[in-house]
Amino acid sequence: MAFWTLYKREFSSYFQSAVAYIVLFGSALIQGASFIILVRMVMDANYKQQSVMQIFFNWPIFWFLLIVQVPLTTMRVFSEEFKLGTIEMLLTAPVTEWEVVLAKFFGALSFFLILWTPVAIDIGLLQLFSNPRPPLYWDQIGLTALTVTLSGAFYVSLGVFGSVLTKNQIIAAVLCFSFVLAFFFISLWKYVQHIDATTLGWIQYVSLPEHLQNAVIGIFDTRPVVFYITATTFVLLVTKTILEGRRLRG
Amino acid sequence: MAGNFPLPFFRYMIEVENLSKTYSGFRAVQGISFHVDKGEIVGFLGPNGAGKSTTMKVLAGYLPPTDGKIRIAGYDVVTDSIEVRKRIGYMPENVPLYTDMRVTEFLRFRAELKKVARRKIKERVEQVKERTSLKDVENKIIGTLSKGYRQRVGLADAMVHDPDLLILDEPTIGLDPNQIRAVRDLIKDLGKHHTILLSTHILSEVELTCSRVLVINRGRIEASDTPANLTKLVRGGGSILLEVKASGADVVAQMKALPDVEDVEVLLPGDDGWSHVKIFAKPGVDIREKVYDVVRKNNWLLRELARVKATLEEAFVELTQE
Repeated sequence: MAFWTLYKREFSSYFQSAVAYIVLFGSALIQGASFIILVRMVMDANYKQQSVMQIFFNWPIFWFLLIVQVPLTTMRVFSEEFKLGTIEMLLTAPVTEWEVVLAKFFGALSFFLILWTPVAIDIGLLQLFSNPRPPLYWDQIGLTALTVTLSGAFYVSLGVFGSVLTKNQIIAAVLCFSFVLAFFFISLWKYVQHIDATTLGWIQYVSLPEHLQNAVIGIFDTRPVVFYITATTFVLLVTKTILEGRRLRG
Repeated sequence: MAGNFPLPFFRYMIEVENLSKTYSGFRAVQGISFHVDKGEIVGFLGPNGAGKSTTMKVLAGYLPPTDGKIRIAGYDVVTDSIEVRKRIGYMPENVPLYTDMRVTEFLRFRAELKKVARRKIKERVEQVKERTSLKDVENKIIGTLSKGYRQRVGLADAMVHDPDLLILDEPTIGLDPNQIRAVRDLIKDLGKHHTILLSTHILSEVELTCSRVLVINRGRIEASDTPANLTKLVRGGGSILLEVKASGADVVAQMKALPDVEDVEVLLPGDDGWSHVKIFAKPGVDIREKVYDVVRKNNWLLRELARVKATLEEAFVELTQE
């Protein structure tokens, strides 16, 4: 199937550029450093209210990483093809636009998830070298991983959408950066001014910090799951339509 | 998608009826019609901006036509795009390639994408590398290859799935004369089993490889014929060079009196009493004997009497100039 062929190419292409390794290295470094700092903080202060995981996914470094990682992961997916002209070669092969969009999306999402594997390694190392071992709450870990994956899927789809709009990678990155930042600021809104309950409800519905706060303490909420899946599907559908339109307009 | 039945019988490999393509108000192609038979090698000629690349992009299914109907191997390019694309090997202008991939890796990827059976991929990739002489660079990264090699990678990609029809947009642009010759031989060889539509600016190439020429200018087809017939059509086709010892005016007057002569031009007024003239006859009429009769009757000394064949270049200029 063409999707699988394209997906393999998309995913492996990340490892053929230096940017990918730099982003991976940077992410691992920042994640590792934050993890160490947080573990020390929790130990020194004998802090019992929150786990390391809880603090880790709620502090600004997580957002900083997300806002930088997603544009760097997705900016090239379509822009580069437009710039090099390879899109013409790609779309004159017997493949559908859907296959192309999905392959690019899942390729980018896979790389994004790779960028978060260092956290799993950090947790593993903490288990290995602590005595006594800190408890592992699998439902919390699982839900956090699910939330990061689903929200990652949504933000990656926004990045893929940004990339299909332009042949300039910088513009694609800036677009994606603005999209992700917009969602971040929406979630900060409640700290800035008083908002009524209805609006707050809407904000909580789309706000990743709220979702993560629930996930890291093991509360499973189906609303974010529905939101991320439908929103991602919608953005990908728009992307596919734009890709078709772009080709149709020449 | 409508009509996914395989159509075993189709008359033409390419059938274009009334194709128009408009880009944001500019009519790049204006209602052209032509067809290409199975097994033909057709050259697509025209000045820059004439609509060659646009037509090829529409045929390859990359751009949709604004108007008109196109069938390739019996399938409609719009409604059965995927079926059409399976049967076409398209090499776009400037050969865009993934510069970060290695040659073999790239060709395998393309073969897989073009639905070559899994067990045949390796064999096909080896075959096309062999035919395009890519063996010595098979493990190199495409970004590091020279223009000539990239062109060959593009050609290898176009033929990797053994398509019925090859559409090659300027396959020899930017190559050195040796490479041009190699590509030309390859195209001739491919033409034994495939139908080929190629565009080029090198007219000698068309004369050597193509069985038919389509001349396109300002979005319209100006001529469709064999290279040999095209050259006969033009004004210079079958013109006669004559050099005799007589005054220019006299020669012109005598020659103009002959039937079928359209024009006589004095080329170089010879100061030693010789006149060099070019006589334009009606297309397709051989007047050499009559010219000789005139020379003999006047007892002129004769130094040259030759028929000049028009080149395709002249035909091209005549057909595409305002």
